[in-house]
Formats: sequence, C-alpha cells, structure tokens
Amino acid sequence: MKNKRYAIVLDTKKCLNCKACTVACKFENFVPVGDDTYRIWVTELPLQGKFPHLHQEYQTSQCQHCENAPCEKVCPTKATFTTPEGVVLVDYKKCILCKACMTACPYDARFVSEHHESVEKCTFCMHRVSEGREPACVETCPVRVREFGDLNDPNSKVSRLLSSRPYLQLKPEKNTRPRLFYVL
Amino acid sequence: MKKKLMSRRKFLGLSSSAIAGALFGPNLNMLTAAPTDPFDYSILPKGTREYIASNCAMCVNKCGIIGEVVNGKLHKINPNPRHVKSRGMLCAKGNAGVSLPYSPDRLKTPLLRTGKRGEGKWKEISWDEAFKYVAKNLADLKQKYENRSSVAFASTEGFQEEFYYYLVNSFGSLNTVRHTTLCLSTNIQGWSSVFGSFPDADLANAEYVLMLGSDRAQALITPDSVDFQRYKPKGQKLIVLDPRFTETGAKADRWYPIKPRTDQGFVLAMINVIISENLYDHKFVETYTHGFEELKELVAEYTPEWAEKKCEIAADEIRKTAREFADHAPRSVIYPGRRSSFYSHEVYVRQTFAILAAICGCWDTKGAVVPKSSIKLASHDVMFPFFNLTRDRVDREAVNLVKDVVPSAVQCPMIGTGLPDDSCAFLSEKDGSWITFREAVLQDDPYPVRGFFCFKQNPVQSVPNVKKTMKMLEKMEFICVIEQQMSDTAWYADIVLPHSTYLESWDPAHSIGGIWPIVEMRQPVIKPLFDTKTMFEISGGIIHEMLKIPSLWDDIDPVDLVDFKKNVVEDILDKPIQDYIKHQLVNHPGAYKQLLKEGFYTVDGGRPTYGKTLKPGFRFKSKTGKIELFNERYKEFGLFPLPKYCEPEILPDPGQYRFLVGRTAWNTHTSTQNNPYLWEIQKENAVWLNTGEAKKKGIVDGEYVRIKSKIGEQRIKAYVTEKIRPDCVFYVNGWGRKSPGMSRAYKSGASEAEIIDDVLDTISGGVCMHETFVTIKKA
Repeated sequence: MKNKRYAIVLDTKKCLNCKACTVACKFENFVPVGDDTYRIWVTELPLQGKFPHLHQEYQTSQCQHCENAPCEKVCPTKATFTTPEGVVLVDYKKCILCKACMTACPYDARFVSEHHESVEKCTFCMHRVSEGREPACVETCPVRVREFGDLNDPNSKVSRLLSSRPYLQLKPEKNTRPRLFYVL
Repeated sequence: MKKKLMSRRKFLGLSSSAIAGALFGPNLNMLTAAPTDPFDYSILPKGTREYIASNCAMCVNKCGIIGEVVNGKLHKINPNPRHVKSRGMLCAKGNAGVSLPYSPDRLKTPLLRTGKRGEGKWKEISWDEAFKYVAKNLADLKQKYENRSSVAFASTEGFQEEFYYYLVNSFGSLNTVRHTTLCLSTNIQGWSSVFGSFPDADLANAEYVLMLGSDRAQALITPDSVDFQRYKPKGQKLIVLDPRFTETGAKADRWYPIKPRTDQGFVLAMINVIISENLYDHKFVETYTHGFEELKELVAEYTPEWAEKKCEIAADEIRKTAREFADHAPRSVIYPGRRSSFYSHEVYVRQTFAILAAICGCWDTKGAVVPKSSIKLASHDVMFPFFNLTRDRVDREAVNLVKDVVPSAVQCPMIGTGLPDDSCAFLSEKDGSWITFREAVLQDDPYPVRGFFCFKQNPVQSVPNVKKTMKMLEKMEFICVIEQQMSDTAWYADIVLPHSTYLESWDPAHSIGGIWPIVEMRQPVIKPLFDTKTMFEISGGIIHEMLKIPSLWDDIDPVDLVDFKKNVVEDILDKPIQDYIKHQLVNHPGAYKQLLKEGFYTVDGGRPTYGKTLKPGFRFKSKTGKIELFNERYKEFGLFPLPKYCEPEILPDPGQYRFLVGRTAWNTHTSTQNNPYLWEIQKENAVWLNTGEAKKKGIVDGEYVRIKSKIGEQRIKAYVTEKIRPDCVFYVNGWGRKSPGMSRAYKSGASEAEIIDDVLDTISGGVCMHETFVTIKKA
C-alpha cells in the first residue's frame, strides 16, 4: 500500500436513506446493536420548504479521517495514529478509555466498544482494503453513494470524481482537512 | 458515561448547516507514504474463512449474496458484485440476515400446543411425532367433512413454496390462498388487460419516468431501486405522484401530492392531451393496438381542466407532463410498480397506465416498459392422484358472499362504476382471493373449512380486518404453521413446524423473469444450527405418514396410488434435493456448477431482452391477439372494456382522514421487525399527520394518539410532518405484534390489520388498503 492516500468521496444526492451501509458496517466490524454504538450513520437533513414545495436530502457520514486529526493530538497514549495512507486508526491495545478523543472529535464519530475494550470508529475497513476488497459500506450501497480509493492515483474513481465535480467538506472551519469529500 | 442517543444521532444533521462554501477541484497536499506498514489490520478470528454464493430471502427480491463464513460461523453477508439482478448491492435487510440463524427467538424444534390457543403453552416434540400428528389430523378432517377442500393452505412466494404444493396436491385440497391478492393482483390484471402480461420498466435506459404511488427508494425492488438512481441515464427526468413526500419524491424533478384515488384521472387527462394534440405514436397504434377510436371517444371529456378538479393538480402541470412524456417516447416509462392493493377500481387505474404506454409506443424497446423474459427450466412432470372427495374453491363457488366487502357504490348499478358486484371476475386459480376466501370460511358457504395450514404467510398481520381473521382461525379444528419464528399466526396454531433459514438450506432452482432474466438456486451457507427442516423435507415427512393411513387414499384409483408412490414419493421426495435441482437444469449444461459458484445463472451473458413481442406474427395474450386499448373479454363479462373514470365510492365523513400504507427500506412486510439490527433502525411505527392538521388538534410530534376506523382502534406515536397531504394519514406495516415470541417487536406500535377495512376489488379479488377512513385524537 505504498504511496497511497485513501479517501472516500460521497455523492449523497443519490442516497435512498435505506440504511444498508449502517447495517453492513455493524456486521463487518463487530459493532454491537445499540443506539450509541455505530461507526457510520445516515442523517435525514432537515426538511426544507412548506407543503407542497418540499426538498429533502440524506447525509451519510462517518469518521472523516482528518489529515489534521484532533483526536490524534489529544490521545495521551498515542493509541490513535495515522497510517502512511492517511487512515486514522486506533490501536485498541493502547487505548485507556480516557475518551479525550471523543470530546475532541468535531464529527462525533467515536464511541466506546465493548468488543475491543477501547474507543473505536471507522477504519475505512482497512482489513478488507489490505486484501484488495472495498470497505463494506461502499460495497453494499444500492446506488453507490460512496467511492473509496487512492487520491494519488489520478485514474482512481475518487480522483476522477474530485477533478470533475465541485465538492464540500464537513466543518472546514475546524481546519481538520477531512479525507471525506461530498460532491455536489 | 456514554453519550446519549440524541447527542450522536442528531449531530451530523446539525453539522450540515455548518458546511462552508464549496471548493472546486482537489486541493490536497501530497504526502509521502512510509516505506513499511507494520500495523496488523486483521480483525477476524484466526482459522478458516470461506465465501459461499447463494441468494437472499429476507424479502421477495432474491438478490445475490456471498456468505462470509469464519470457522463455520456466518460473520457477514456480502453482496454478490456480479449479480445481474441485484447489481452488486445488498440492502439493510439482506445484511441483517446474518443474525437470523442465531436469533434466540428462532423456532428450534416442532412445538405442540398444550394450553388454549394463543396462551403460549407449548410442548417440544420430535419430528416423527409432528408428522404423525399432522397426518392424523388431515385424515380426521377428510373423514369428517368428506371433502379434502375442507383444509385450506395459505402460503407466500419463495423457492420452497413448490414443495408446499407437493403436500397440498398429495392431500387434494383446492383451497390455496397466496399473498397475491394482498399485493399486486390488481396490477397484474390491469396491465395484462392491455398487453396480456405484467411487464417491467427499463429504468436504466428511460429518459422520462413517471411514478404514481411507487416508492422505489424505500420499497426496494431490484434492479429498479438500483437503476433509478445509480444507472439512470444523464438527464433522465423523474416525476413522482404520491400523497406523501416519500424518499422517492425527494429524488424527483417534480413531486405532485396528488389527491388519493385520482391517479386514473391524471393519466386519463394525459391520454386526452396526447391524443388531442396528436402526440401519440401513429405507427405503433396502427400496427399493434385494438380499439383506438373507442379510446379516443372515451377520453374526449377527460381534459386537464376536468382532471385538475379531481386530482388537485393544475391543468397546466398535467398538460406539461403529457407533452414531456410523449416527447421522450419511446424512452418514457409509466412505472408499473409492484404492490397495488389500493382502491376498488385499481384494475382500471393500471389499465389506464398501460394504455398511456401503448399509445406512445413505450413498449418492449430500450428505455420503455418491457415484457418479462424468462429462462425455461425443465419441470418435473408429476401426476398427483385424482381425489373424488375434492370440491371446488370456496372463493369461486361463493358468489353471494362478497356483498359485505364490496363498496356499496359498486353494488348500486345507478352509479355505474363498471365493476362487478358479486364475484371476482378474473380470480387467479392458485392465488385465490384472501378476502373472499375468508368470507366464505366465516359463513360456511358453500361448505365448511376447518383445517388451516400456513407456510411463510402471516395473515393475522397482513390481511385487513384482523377480527375476521381471528374468527376464521377460531373456526378451525386444526391449525399447522410452518415458520422460522413465532409469527402472530403461529402463536395461534396447534402445531408449529420450524423451517430452516435460507442460509442453512438447499432451495430448488428458480427462474426469475425480467428484462434481465436469471436462474437462481440456494445452497447452505452454514450448517443447520437446530432441529429444523425445509419444506421439501417437511412435505416428504408428512406424506410418508399420510401413506400409512388407508382412509386418506380411499377415494382414488388404486393405480394412481401406485404411480404416486413411485413418481412423487420415491423418485422425488425420497431423493436428495440436489437431484431435483439437477433435473430442473438438465437443458442448461454447466448451470448447476455455475449456480454453486455464483448463485445465479444467465444465458446470453445476462443481456437485456427487447422486442420479442414486436416481431411479425406475435400474438399478444388477448382476444384479438393485439394490444387491447378496448378489452374484448371485459366486454363479454359485462365490465367496462375501456378505462372509464371511476368516481370515488367511499367518501370520508367530516374530520376523517384517508389511511395510506407503505414500506420502509429496512423491513419486509411483517417478517423482519424482530431482527435486532433492523429493530435498531426502527423500534415502532408512527402515524404521519400533516403539520396543519396536528396544530388544529393540538397534537405535537412524538406524542401518542389514538387512531380509529370503522373496524378498530390503535395507539401509536404521531409523526407531525409537512410530508403528507392534510387529508391523509399513513403508517408503515408490520407493527403492533400479537406474538410474544417476537421479543423485540411484540406490542410495539400499531398494526394495520387492526385498522384497515376489508374492501374487495371485484375484478382480481384483491384487497383495497386505501379505502379506509380514520379519526385521530390525543391518546
């Protein structure tokens, strides 16, 4: 996985609000059933307009894998770290459950996992990626809201999407430089 | 310690408002990767890992799956990326299938009732005892009523259903009742009245899509739900008509909140515009259709101005939609959809849709409405004995039974609805008509039905007016339910037989028709966990016990019995199911291997099939052999041959709302609500009430209300929203469960069967789920 910079590009305009991704993630990553335990989620954004002139969008989201990750900075044991590919991970063995990272994360993407006895969050399914498979949420989506890939490869789907379409990032004022891009 | 639900779930919703201005183009700093990567990413336990292809059974779609099995335990179900029908996706339900075999609420062994019905007292028994018990009860009922049709058999679609019919045919009852009249019988009948078959829509190639009352973003159907956002051609226009602002409406270029029960008026006015402005496909109409002049005459009065008053959509909008539809033809789709158990005139609504497609030539060509193709499998030519003690179906003989369930306006010839008032004119033989069937049983007319088998269906939740269903069950002297979990219907059974999950069983090959026809099969992804069996094994077991009871075979020719033992029992049921499957595939060399490897099989590389009905000499399945805009058979039956506008028959009293039903993407009818991973998404249902109406009543979002119809009352949470017309309310099916055997879903939310009145569509025998009016007040 040399010289790769991983990212997810989301085209949420296509999102059906079907929750396939959230359930796939739970099984893939041993995330237990529970309202507080989830790595990814789909939010119904506020309904705009008055009947009958309405507009609504759905936003899928997860850990933003920030290049300037606040969670990593506050971690006292360096349990949270960034891989060379730019994937922010937690080394569960090092986590002391102080939850400083949960407070620091502007995206509320972390939770306490009983399975790992650690704080955890989205890993970009690196255990799948390292086997040449896509993250579970990317793969299962009926309409392919997410694309995962390497920003260093100009021919990757993510690179092509970002060079051809305008995009947003969440909370740019936090200067976190996320690796999640929302195309318009 | 942990943060509360709201703090996490709501967070991103708020954050969206914090999105700053858009960036254009990548603006990323280059990073240099470290040379080595020491971190161990693996998360799975050490041991063996297998990937096994099969097909999903969490709903009716049968999408391609690949089970990821780690040390014999199912870890994950992945979508099959190569699957032609599901296009490499798997929905929430399909993913949640992993927990099905391991559910603590699973039925694990046959259960015999020991207390009163519905008391929940059961005794675990062996399969041997179970088969004996069932066979004895069948023999007793046959002796007592001297009529094999005194035992009825309910079931719903699924690969194992054909083996259920081995049991039905071995006993010799003609009373089978399937899900179709709760679902799409009106749709099949309406489209078939024009084209002779029920088609699919080529959403992957259509330029213009008109959807009336279908919510493809939530009521998932493959490949449509995939194609309509993922593979739609650039610039495709989507027009959605629905009294609710659904997830599909949110994707539409235009959403029209049409007044319920007036969809036919909207489409008739479109036809009016297209004919009067000469926008129809002259050549197609001339070559393929019958009855254009009669149609032209009929629709002359249905102007957009006329329709505006019915539909509450501006005439100009109707005109615009008509012109756009014709402009994009033949790559325009008026979407047939699936479930259409809406109104008493629904067959005519669907006939109207089909006629719009026909006059614009939007048929059997790329981007249009396309008849299904299918891959032919070899059938097992089995002959079941001819039983003398078999009477015809109750819902056919029972001509006068339906008065109570037919809207009064239909019964009044003065109103001239054109609907038959006393029978199901086009009843499908095997499917039956649920409502008519139940009426006949309740009235013992024309004969008593006292035994009830139920496989995979859950009529206590799925058939409108549950009070009648419960009365029907009370009349039964014997109830046998074959299920995976203690469904509401199983809860009232005398004996419950546990069926294996789709992840543990071999299922026969099945040809799935469509624009992209495929064959599927299931193989076990994991070994069976408990003492469960498939319908193949259950039918075999019961039939063997039946053969030990001479009185069950005394009304047939003894030669028939010998043949039956040889051809059905020895050659099929006693053999491994793999033999059965291999015979099905005998004309497709390599198919069995391909099915084991991929879970699906195609011919021609799964390419779409267009144009077979447009070839010279093709005869449509109609009286004239043409596409009938004017239906000659309807004329013979005394029905309107043309889609004359049917005025609303049942009108609300002041203060009443029309009750609508629908689906979510994470539950299938009444079968999945108890799955923990789906229950987590939704723990009860809520009734949608328009903001303005709620304000008038002082009802606030999230508070409990009482909803009351002619037939019942339920307590349910209110969802106050702009997303529904002020004259309607809606809640989703599958809640308000009666069975404590579903530990999570039990008693949560409100049931539809408790509220919806039983109203019959007298052409197809379908139920009408949108003909109920309700009042709402604070609980």
